[in-house]
Amino acid sequence: MSGHKLPFAASFLAFAASVVLALILGRYRVDPGSLWDMLTSIISGSAADPALSGPSLVLWSVRLPRVIAAVLVGAALSVSGAVFQSLFRNPLVSPGILGVTSGASFGATLALFVAGNSALAVEGSAFIWGLVAVTLAYQIGRRSGNSVTSLVLSGVIVSALFTAGISFLKYKADPYQQLPAMVFWTMGSFNSIVWDDTVRSLAIITPGLAVLYLFRWWLNPIALGDEDAMTLGINVPKARMIYIVLGTVIVAASVASCGNIGWVGLVVPHMARILVGSDHDVLIPFSALLGGTFMLVMDTLARTLPGGEIPVGVLTALLGAPFFAYLLVTNEKRGGWQN
Amino acid sequence: MGGLLSVSGLGFCYRAQPVLRDISFDVERGSLCGLLGPNASGKTTLLKCINGVLSPGEGKVMVNGAPIHGMPRREVARLMAVVPQQMSLVFSFTALQMVVMGRSARLGALQLPSARDRAEARASMDELGIGGLAERPFNELSGGERQLVLLARALFQEAPILLLDEPTSHLDFRNQYLIMDVVHEMTHAKGVATIVTLHDPNLAARYCTHLVVLKEGRLHRKGRREEVFEEKTLSEVYGMGIEVHRVPGAPPVVMPGPGAAFP
Repeated sequence: MSGHKLPFAASFLAFAASVVLALILGRYRVDPGSLWDMLTSIISGSAADPALSGPSLVLWSVRLPRVIAAVLVGAALSVSGAVFQSLFRNPLVSPGILGVTSGASFGATLALFVAGNSALAVEGSAFIWGLVAVTLAYQIGRRSGNSVTSLVLSGVIVSALFTAGISFLKYKADPYQQLPAMVFWTMGSFNSIVWDDTVRSLAIITPGLAVLYLFRWWLNPIALGDEDAMTLGINVPKARMIYIVLGTVIVAASVASCGNIGWVGLVVPHMARILVGSDHDVLIPFSALLGGTFMLVMDTLARTLPGGEIPVGVLTALLGAPFFAYLLVTNEKRGGWQN
Repeated sequence: MGGLLSVSGLGFCYRAQPVLRDISFDVERGSLCGLLGPNASGKTTLLKCINGVLSPGEGKVMVNGAPIHGMPRREVARLMAVVPQQMSLVFSFTALQMVVMGRSARLGALQLPSARDRAEARASMDELGIGGLAERPFNELSGGERQLVLLARALFQEAPILLLDEPTSHLDFRNQYLIMDVVHEMTHAKGVATIVTLHDPNLAARYCTHLVVLKEGRLHRKGRREEVFEEKTLSEVYGMGIEVHRVPGAPPVVMPGPGAAFP
């Protein structure tokens, strides 16, 4: 525990700094003084006042909900990634391993195809189909031995199925209206986030993260292997189900609110392990902090880069992939993933 | 009957193929029971059935008169500690973190190990003379050191029964004796009922108080070591000529006999 204070303190400072920067930076430059004004106006209860002046309006109705959403989604993807990696005892696992992302993408595509551009329909459909996909994968896996391998394979099967569904819908979609919306949605962005979306994410992701945080200890014995965890007194099938349900719900809610943002759930848990080790007591909260910060920095970059905003999912992949390569190479020099 | 652990009429099939048939024996507190038999005789399967990781198709395993099968894992883990065969980790834990996990069965669902738990885990490591390894990554330890860490974890689990699956395989000559010394000492000092699967009959001769000898999934012989440990039994089980040399004041020594038959 004692050796982890420095990474925690450093990450917390980075987090605080990135929140301030994310609120200030952008097309509409807000000077730090207005930030203070807004905070005091929220505390005094007049924040939602429509007569707010320009900077406060930008801060309150545009940037703050987006900042909160980015932090929540980053934390959810990273924690879920850390959980799934331990559950499957594989450092190459990402939160989408059981098909949640392809299921949710199918749900969003389906809603765009059938219901047009209603935000609520797209989010709701994405969330529900994400859960459907994982339930399907879990049931297939359970019936074929309930081992880690059978679960991974059924996740692959389900993902393939829903990816085919997405391709079919795209092919059938109106190429001038629906198809671009589908393509942009799958790239992942916080561009269209408003308070309603943020509140929905808060309502689902925060309790999910809290329960995962409370249950984090069992992940330690589970990371050793199913049999070893059983001999140590863990009801492995039950524990695994709890983690899969919670990890899936928070990822489905994330994908529903902002589309597919890849690499965060894969790369951030690795950075966290390198900085604080594998003990989930520390790893889970640290992954949340690091993931929230990482996503916020990426999103701020995505909307402040010269030449206009690009989808943050493009940026995370663009920076995440080389970073992962760097980790692979340097980690090999330290003795591989085992160390 | 009457032992702390009692196995009666145990049978296990893997995909309709019988692996174990009608195995019965008892183990008492303070006795170190060696499980001998050639490869594929069902030793590891028997250990897993005893621990309830595999559920036997027939017969039962009882601890203090209570059947293990159907018992929640938490309760089984409070009765039996297992030292697994050779283990390497995907994710890196320190030796101390590994030992602390021995406490899992005594923590509430939402509870984390306290500072006191960690201090006690350290004490278990000190007891086995490996306190210095506490902060080292488990995967960087030698085979013997890993085995000692897993033993410290089992000790920290504070269970009255200890199961070890080939704790000496992959270890060098010195470490084999070192590990078995520790197992012997734990069995005596804590009054634990220990079952250990072994490949080397010489280790069994030196350390075990009782022997259970398996051949092709059946119980071949069982009893006190002095009664069971003889040329005829060992020759039959391993399918080769075997000589047992007895030296006064020392454990018997086993060697391949002159007529060691390798057809």
